[in-house]
Amino acid sequence: MSDRGTMLTADNNKNSTAAVSVKDLRKCFGQLEVLKGVSLEAQEGDVISILGSSGSGKSTMLRCINMLEVPDSGEIRIGGEMFALKKGRHKTQPADRRQVDRLREHIGMVFQSFNLWSHMTILENVIEAPVHVQKRNRAECIEEAEALLERVGIAEKRNFYPAHLSGGQQQRAAIARALAQRPRVMLFDEPTSALDPELVGEVLKVMRSLAEEGRTMLVVTHEMAFARDVSSRVVFLHKGVVEEEGNPDEIFRNPNSERFKQFLSVER
Amino acid sequence: MELMDRYLALVGFGETGWGALLLTAAAMTLGVSVCGFLTGMVLGSVITFMQLSRYMVLRWLADGYTTVLRGVPDLLVVYLFYFGGTAFLGYLGGFFGYQGFIGMPAFLTGTLALGVVSAAYQSEVFRGAFNSVARGELEAASAVGMRPWPKFRRIIAPLVLRYAIPGLGNTWQLVLKESALISVTGLVELLRQSQIAAGSTRRPFEFYLTAVVLYLVITWVSSIVFRRLETRTLRGTRRAL
Amino acid sequence: MDFAFMWETFLTLLPGLPLTLELAATSILAGGILAAIISLVAVIGGPIGRGFTQGYVFVFRGSPLLVQMFLIYYGLGQFRPFLQEIGVWGIFREPYWCAVIALTLNTAAYSSEIFRGGLQAVSIQQVEAARACGMSGVLLFRRIILPIAIRQALPAYGNEIILMLKATALASVITIMEVTGLAGKLIADSFRAFEVFIVAGAIYLAITFLVTRLLRIIEFWLSPHLRLRPPSLT
Repeated sequence: MSDRGTMLTADNNKNSTAAVSVKDLRKCFGQLEVLKGVSLEAQEGDVISILGSSGSGKSTMLRCINMLEVPDSGEIRIGGEMFALKKGRHKTQPADRRQVDRLREHIGMVFQSFNLWSHMTILENVIEAPVHVQKRNRAECIEEAEALLERVGIAEKRNFYPAHLSGGQQQRAAIARALAQRPRVMLFDEPTSALDPELVGEVLKVMRSLAEEGRTMLVVTHEMAFARDVSSRVVFLHKGVVEEEGNPDEIFRNPNSERFKQFLSVER
Repeated sequence: MELMDRYLALVGFGETGWGALLLTAAAMTLGVSVCGFLTGMVLGSVITFMQLSRYMVLRWLADGYTTVLRGVPDLLVVYLFYFGGTAFLGYLGGFFGYQGFIGMPAFLTGTLALGVVSAAYQSEVFRGAFNSVARGELEAASAVGMRPWPKFRRIIAPLVLRYAIPGLGNTWQLVLKESALISVTGLVELLRQSQIAAGSTRRPFEFYLTAVVLYLVITWVSSIVFRRLETRTLRGTRRAL
Repeated sequence: MDFAFMWETFLTLLPGLPLTLELAATSILAGGILAAIISLVAVIGGPIGRGFTQGYVFVFRGSPLLVQMFLIYYGLGQFRPFLQEIGVWGIFREPYWCAVIALTLNTAAYSSEIFRGGLQAVSIQQVEAARACGMSGVLLFRRIILPIAIRQALPAYGNEIILMLKATALASVITIMEVTGLAGKLIADSFRAFEVFIVAGAIYLAITFLVTRLLRIIEFWLSPHLRLRPPSLT
């Protein structure tokens, strides 16, 4: 995996067709400045692990990428197209809600707390966006959904409701739901943090296989082994800025930043 | 035994019995309650929208509405619609050159009054239900790119409705009992019919007792229906107990 | 809008206010006592007690108050000789007392459920802790169970009080001229439903406002343990 990392030396200006590009992102919550100018770029096929202690702004950054949080300033591009923002009186807002929804169709999001729709079965959850947002053929979607559920290993649970599944199964269903959108990019927001330790493995296994098939993934995580072994690049956020960034082999062996060293010694 | 026979002759379906009329009146009670309840549901969800709106004026209006209707006796609301409606219709009639008396149709009065009163309670139910929907599920809908209307129709409405069912069941019971107030407008529902029968036979005890029993049957059956509905729509959730 | 007429209306309705308050206060007080007894019977009365109280609650919560009022006022009139014989006809002859009885019995059914809920919300652990330090019987009930139960039940009971204030309006249907009775008469005479509604509504809102304020003060005063909680986020 790591050899791929060398291809993406961060030359922000040239790669306008990056899968995701984030430039000088800033976000405040009231008085608290959570992101103080973060930039990041992911090429097709990149798997980027975003590390940082709690409060470092890593989840906020991820949620800005699909506009679940609206940044105060900065640029976010998905496949080259930039989210249009307009400055309001109090806060910045998306200029065009339709554009937001259109771009979101191509971004799969996996949440920490799964967020499966509790009134729908697992299969219904997976086909919801393809059928009702992307207006694809229902029968095809079902077929594809079943293949996806097979792939994440819960095909037999297709007619169960989320509440009847374990956390690990729910999260795998949520991954299948995100995959069903046929996304260009997958965002993972601490996908294993809400799971019991013995269930973490099954979710990581699925994520690993996605990485191996060359999907573009941005993963906010605390799983050091995943960051080291699976990702092509690691970004370490601290207090709203990128403190350390690079090829996992290098920066884990040879961290430049004191903060990152400290972080590693605690997390390991 | 003799007492029982006399009673049955009074409320039964024989020649001198009031049974058929009482059952018809019970159906009228159900009819006006259902119409009032549905009106209240529509109005109540509008008020919930206003309460959750980002415009302060709308929130104020909605809060004002619920405060007033929860603080004012429902009988006054019935009077307002009955007499107020009649006055309004008379005014309209005068406008079109008609000078006679136009009475407000009692059924319409009942539906409107019950709707307006129950809307205040239903909006609270809907708002509570909306607040118990997990934020994450709404976020997930946004994250897949759902537009506001599909998001409402596919995710929000079904989730809210199912959290709202117990509360809606309570409001329904409330409406059912409130419907007795509509008897003051002369609508021949269960209580009014009992009054008529009591007056004409001079046996008020028997008839009001029968009315109580019929109301109990209706509330009892509807509580069963709502419980069924609840278990049906709550499929897929794990109950705490 | 005709303010002179509304002022006049206000002056016409005001004499009904004492009667409204009196009806509410009497039936809330009597209903509260009855409810306390019923809820106690429900909790400690065994299967028979529970069955009886369930039946009571079912009947009074499942049928309209207005019908209950008619049954007591007009229905019991049918048994006048008997009631005269046992010496209570004086009560059942008066619409006022019939209204009070109906309101009392009705609110007792609702309140007893609220009280029962409060009693049952007292956690086993807290009772066990009290038993562990040697409390039992009346002492346990008085020092631990009751204070906790009252705090639990207060918000719901406050609601019930407001509902009772509104329910007194039904007494007007059996000829009692409290605020709503006077308002109804005025509307029928003047056909100015809107203005009268506003004035009568304002009177009721003023009472409910005062009562909710009062209840909030009581609630605040009864729950110092909640006040000490650190302010929540959001």
